[in-house]
Amino acid sequence: MKRISPFLSSFLLLLLALVLSLAIGSVFLSPAQLWAALIGHGTQTSDTILWAIRLPRTVLIAMTGMALSGSGAAYQGLFRNPLADPFLIGVASGAGLGAVIAMSINWPYSFWGLLAIPMAAFIAALLTVFVVYSLARVGRTVPTTNLILAGVAFSSFATSLTSFLMLRSTDDIRRALGWLFGGASQSNWTAIIAIAPYLFIGLGVLLVSGQALNLMQFGDEQAQQLGLNVTRAKTILLISASLATAAAVAFSGIIGFIGLIVPHVMRLWWGADYRRLIPLSIISGATALLVSDIVARVVIAPQEIPVGIVTALVGAPFFLWVLRRAKNQGYW
Amino acid sequence: MLRKFFFFILPVAILLVACVPSSVNTPQPQAATGIVQPTIVQTQPTPIVLTDGLGRQVKLAAPARRVVSLAPSNTEILFAMGAGSQVVGRDELSDYPAQVPGIPSVGGSMGNFSTEAIVALKPDLVLAAEINTPELVKTLEGLGLTVYYLSNPTTLDGMYANLEAVAKLTGHVDETSTLVQSLKARVAAVDTKLIGVSEKPAVFYELDATDASKPFTAGPRTFIDLLIQRAGGTNVASTLKDQYPQVSLEELVVLNPDIIILSDSAYGETPEKVAARPGWGTLAAVKNGRVYPFDYHLLSIPGPRLVDGLEQLAKLLHPDLFK
Amino acid sequence: MLLIDQLSFAYGPHVVLHGVSLEVRSGEVLALIGPNGAGKSTLIRAASGVIPIQSGRVRTNGDDFAALSSMQRARYLAVVPQAVSLPAAFTVWETVLLGRTPYLGFLGQPSHKDEELARMALERVGAGSLAGRRVGELSGGEQQRVLLARALCQSTPILLLDEPTAHLDLQYQVSLLELVSDLAHRDKLAVLIALHDLNLAARYADRVALLVAGAIKALGTSRNVMTSELLSQAYSLPIKVVDHPFLSGLIVLPELQNHKDG
Repeated sequence: MKRISPFLSSFLLLLLALVLSLAIGSVFLSPAQLWAALIGHGTQTSDTILWAIRLPRTVLIAMTGMALSGSGAAYQGLFRNPLADPFLIGVASGAGLGAVIAMSINWPYSFWGLLAIPMAAFIAALLTVFVVYSLARVGRTVPTTNLILAGVAFSSFATSLTSFLMLRSTDDIRRALGWLFGGASQSNWTAIIAIAPYLFIGLGVLLVSGQALNLMQFGDEQAQQLGLNVTRAKTILLISASLATAAAVAFSGIIGFIGLIVPHVMRLWWGADYRRLIPLSIISGATALLVSDIVARVVIAPQEIPVGIVTALVGAPFFLWVLRRAKNQGYW
Repeated sequence: MLRKFFFFILPVAILLVACVPSSVNTPQPQAATGIVQPTIVQTQPTPIVLTDGLGRQVKLAAPARRVVSLAPSNTEILFAMGAGSQVVGRDELSDYPAQVPGIPSVGGSMGNFSTEAIVALKPDLVLAAEINTPELVKTLEGLGLTVYYLSNPTTLDGMYANLEAVAKLTGHVDETSTLVQSLKARVAAVDTKLIGVSEKPAVFYELDATDASKPFTAGPRTFIDLLIQRAGGTNVASTLKDQYPQVSLEELVVLNPDIIILSDSAYGETPEKVAARPGWGTLAAVKNGRVYPFDYHLLSIPGPRLVDGLEQLAKLLHPDLFK
Repeated sequence: MLLIDQLSFAYGPHVVLHGVSLEVRSGEVLALIGPNGAGKSTLIRAASGVIPIQSGRVRTNGDDFAALSSMQRARYLAVVPQAVSLPAAFTVWETVLLGRTPYLGFLGQPSHKDEELARMALERVGAGSLAGRRVGELSGGEQQRVLLARALCQSTPILLLDEPTAHLDLQYQVSLLELVSDLAHRDKLAVLIALHDLNLAARYADRVALLVAGAIKALGTSRNVMTSELLSQAYSLPIKVVDHPFLSGLIVLPELQNHKDG
């Protein structure tokens, strides 16, 4: 494992996943047809499928995987907890609540009307982080234990409120569940452009925060003594990771396990140095979600399983396998 | 300080949530509340222009030759008016009439639709219903497809209007006109037989009794409610607030229906099983043996079979009048 | 040098440090002794800025630490904490390199000089062979030496050590204290070291500060501070301090309850 460059191999896998995502779908297109469509000589059908359906979907899924995995790694470092994932402090439940509330309102069928739900989800996600952060703060520090407790409490609150709303309006349940289970079967360039800035800003900050995360593994005191402004670092990390997560969740719903498992696998293979772990998690997160999405599209075609279900079904046993292998290796 | 703010927010949030109207859902369904005249252009060579349930203007140069249906109700409607041969794709749940399972599926039901599959069928019309999300309509629009969204009717006239709209879109105006006449005649026949009937049995329409102490039923603002009344009965759940409420066994005993209709008979519920349920034996309907299995499709799918449903209901509620 | 001026710290109503004043000069080893709970660790943590102080100041030549950023303070002052739990997955090398943090660029990439300093620090504490090992696999003593190496490559004029000999074998206790003594006398660092072993304190300290219940009871040379009276009072136990018969220095002994000696 030490011989191969981790970045090279991760990039190659990502490339493979991207190509497969464009090549595979519920409609079979032969390599010849794909190539024709690629160079602009395809039939209208294969053109539409490749450029208007598969390409934006591939891009959106890749971006979502990057965001979830990158922020998952950051959260695990921030909380020094192997069970941390991007939804630890309630982002998922907050976003879900926002989306379901928005769904219960009659928006006009228009560009902005349909954007209302993702926007509500996004704003609700950020509001959640703000509320949880404020609840957890003690004077000028933000103890991580408080963050977790406040996050868990708020999550439960938001989730039950969401369930209550869904029960009251059975017509909306289908739409709400569809959003909650996650999936990008309705991805388009609007969505991509809308979330891109937040996603890239959030991930960009995380990419340069590797050293800070390394320091934080030694505890707030040692990190401070070594020169890190711990409170400021935590705040910046929290905001960036949450920004990326909120962007990912807005259009793709709640997709679990990617943010939890991919960083662990990276850690197992390539070590715990966050300067490497963050970028590797980002790349591999995209790969993992792309693969899950391909499975989701193909397994019971032409029906498409919401990708959040695939990640859970595949992710859980995979996670247990990784855990077994890592038990005595001290890789955490 | 913020802690206090949060604890204030909590009850306010709960209040706000409680105030959110429970029955409004997807963006403005328009053409379904009764007598609606979609914008029509009469002469033959000029294109067909209609306004659909989302308020969108839909144009077709000529009646559609290749139709993809995204809901079982749409599929039924298409076949009922003789447009079955024009259906090239359907959603996973569509299974009526008999030819439908043979038509390629494009996804849907628990999972999502495959937009690829829809596009690959090269339809000139995609027929959506309220069971589909507006996001899906937008996506299909974005792929260059012509989509027409039928909102759920809330009255029989609304259902006829939907039939007429689809007739124009698929070029079956005459057949549909005949169909609608015959449907109206059958409904009128039921109405006539019920004139002067004062005895209206109380009906409990069971949707789901997985938890037998709290079964689900159809409440106000549903077609089921409407047709029970049209069939000469009263719906015991009519006075409740939610559209599909869960009724506790105690409440049911108080409401004391004369008749129990098992629309979940397709899932294995039988009158014998109902009698065996703890506590249900005290209900008048059970004691008198007036528990009847029912094909839920007849009342749950907003299509022409609603009239079949009405007739079946009338037979069960007034067996002496309807042989 | 490190100047602690009237430092007070309390956990809510419970006062731990009462206006402690202390000066650690460059080139000297100042041993901080006192019973458990006296506030030795708290004093070190307060001086390094990881707990907020209620009143008082911590300064070096001219600079008040309160006005400095964490990064700047870390260039003046390095801490070897008491046995802490370290993240098991990090290697010794990665851990020691973190000591260069205050001097690394934005992305935290170490230069050759940084790596050289880290290597030298590891050699100096006698842990050169442990570089590739994971920190979680080391013994308590080995971990302690790694922490010292990390503090060393932080290249600071002031070094604070919180009971660094706690888990070490005698030979490592001695070699660590020899090293600390060297750092002070040869490299001219100002070293404040909290010690529980009074004999070692007597041998290696240039000056001693006796901390009891959050206040400095005595400050001066070991001969002045480590008297039988003061120590007995501080530790609530009869203690005898005698001159070593042939080595220069003091021996500190608790008096036995059942008099075995005449």
